[in-house]
Amino acid sequence: MNHHRAGRLLSAYVDSELTAAETRAVQAHLLDCAACRDAYENLRAARDLLAGLPPAEPEGEFWAAIRGPVMRRATAAASAGWAGRLRAQLWPAPRAQWASVARLPWPGIAGRRPGLVLAGVLIALALSALPLVRGTVDRLHATEIGVDLYVHDHAMQMGTAPLVDRAYVGLVAGDAELVLAGNTPRPVGDSVR
Amino acid sequence: MSETAAALALMAPPEAVKAPAYTAEELARYDGIVQRYARHVYNIAYRMTGNEADARDLSQEAFLRVYRALRRVEPGAPLESWLYRIVSNLYIDLLRRRPKARVESLDAPIDTPRGELTREFPDVAANPEAVFEREHIDGAIQQALGVLSPDLRMVVVLSDIEGFAYEEIAAILRVPLGTVKSRLHRARQVLQVRLRPYVAARRRGWQV
Repeated sequence: MNHHRAGRLLSAYVDSELTAAETRAVQAHLLDCAACRDAYENLRAARDLLAGLPPAEPEGEFWAAIRGPVMRRATAAASAGWAGRLRAQLWPAPRAQWASVARLPWPGIAGRRPGLVLAGVLIALALSALPLVRGTVDRLHATEIGVDLYVHDHAMQMGTAPLVDRAYVGLVAGDAELVLAGNTPRPVGDSVR
Repeated sequence: MSETAAALALMAPPEAVKAPAYTAEELARYDGIVQRYARHVYNIAYRMTGNEADARDLSQEAFLRVYRALRRVEPGAPLESWLYRIVSNLYIDLLRRRPKARVESLDAPIDTPRGELTREFPDVAANPEAVFEREHIDGAIQQALGVLSPDLRMVVVLSDIEGFAYEEIAAILRVPLGTVKSRLHRARQVLQVRLRPYVAARRRGWQV
């Protein structure tokens, strides 16, 4: 091994980070070369100087800053006393997967304006229930008075009340397996006259 | 509050990134991480920045990130690489935000309107006893570290001061093993020259 290459490996040799073959080669060179022995001693002394540095000690203020969240929780628990402990027993802290849901904005409104949220929910329920109720009432009515009369009633109404929905009338009539106005009922199995 | 702390606060105001409410076990886990790594993180930060205020700000920012990411950290997973890489990256950020803080050669004469001045250093020969006091040698080593470029300094701090193996350093800094070797080689060449009297004394068997 030449002098230049050995010089480049010395630093890793000091740290015992060379392969076995490299280590042997450097050791052989060190026996021959006084300059490299000197450089090696210097490197080792420099490394030992750094390794001997005492660790820098952070002040108490530093610990308070990075342990802040833990300390706050500890003091909060201590000050809450028995009431806090009872509450913690009855309502344990939310599980991890709920915490992300709780971060969404909407439950915040529920907390601040419960009345508003309740009214909104009721209106939504009423709007979705209205057609169901009305449809049922109309179907009962149609079967009660008979198909032709029901459709006739509504056909008359349409002239005076243009807002009545024809499609809706048709739907109710079809649903109840009624024959639409204008068609006479055909007896079953009498398709060929 | 120092300039760094203010800059860090601007970068990530604590109110904006609220950490989720942690359970007692999670807080205990965070506390465990603090107990285990805080001294090392602070020590590395201190040797990199060379002053307490910056070291404190860097370490605090690093642990703030740990705190925010606590749920993503597997319990018991070794955090060394991740944490020390954060410190390294935070330090590089710090240098970027402070372009004025440049490394000056201590030997170079300073230009003043009244001519050139050279810095005066305590003469080793004049008071040989005082030079080898603990504080003095700490200061001298810190000064020598400050002369190195941040890349070289980080490798030296991780290897010689924190005692990591080359492979671990390569993993922390995400550089090839050969780069760790060559950086350490170059760094030690510089340090040896800067610390010549101490190196010589050490070779004669002197210990603090």
